Amino acid sequence: MADTSHLELREQFSTPEQQRESAISGMWIFIVTELMLFGGLFVAFTVYRLRYPAAFTRGSSEMEYWMGALNTGILISSSLTMSLAEYFVAQNKSMRGAILLLVTILLGAAFLGIKFTEYYLHFHDHKMPAFGFEETGPFAPQVQLFFVFYYVMTGLHSLHLLIGIGLVFFMFVPTALRSLNAEYHTPLDNTSLYWHFIDVIWVFLFAIFYIPGAHIR
Amino acid sequence: MTEQHPSLMTIALTWFGLLGLTLLTSLLGLVNLGAMNPTVAVIIAAVQASLIALFLMHALKGPALIRVIAAGGVLWFLIMMVLTLTDFITRGWLLPFGK
Repeated sequence: MADTSHLELREQFSTPEQQRESAISGMWIFIVTELMLFGGLFVAFTVYRLRYPAAFTRGSSEMEYWMGALNTGILISSSLTMSLAEYFVAQNKSMRGAILLLVTILLGAAFLGIKFTEYYLHFHDHKMPAFGFEETGPFAPQVQLFFVFYYVMTGLHSLHLLIGIGLVFFMFVPTALRSLNAEYHTPLDNTSLYWHFIDVIWVFLFAIFYIPGAHIR
Repeated sequence: MTEQHPSLMTIALTWFGLLGLTLLTSLLGLVNLGAMNPTVAVIIAAVQASLIALFLMHALKGPALIRVIAAGGVLWFLIMMVLTLTDFITRGWLLPFGK
């Protein structure tokens, strides 16, 4: 029989609905703090992008464009499987939800695999600051600055995705054991919010790093 | 708070929309639009982010409190972006005192 201790109403709440609303609202507030964390980096990137437009377009032309586009498709598809998992668990079809969570983990891992392949290709092309960076054009220091932003922002995003994969796996086990079901699935909903937020950040990273120089490759 | 999970149709349509917009931004990136390339890409990304937040993160049909929190986050981010850029762009517009 499934463990139902987590269904217990904590003393500070009047109803289970209020308890659930507090948990979901808390997750949204956490996401807003994450938005501020990435937001500061987006603001800094925008300032330097406006300061050195030619150099940043030159840096962007070094991106592995189609790998970035493929990764966008993969992450969007992982959001689909995450939403479907949430939907089926809420319909009391926990096993179907567990399988979809597993697919979500695999898609997240595929994203990271492609991302680190990109990093390796940049390293091979001497486009990794502090590790033998080479640029011969007129804007060499500014192009290097572009790559600093690239590694910091996509690296921070990858770290969040890695944590997300851990959280989804943490949800996979109780979902497969049916401890998360139609009656109680708040942790899964909160994990889903986090996963979708990672997706939101990526679509902007793809837009600012990969698109501006794609036409001059 | 009532359960407000989106329907299968909503989830599927959102996914197709997001993939379509990814294809659009990927293809537009190959066309030289000058300074408009990153601008168009960020606008498309903002539409994608809105779709994810409204339909997959339940901001549209969830409780009003969630929309207030989300809108507050976006507002604070825009304050940070706009005020920083206002400072950066307008530097040099005014002569120093005494000149």
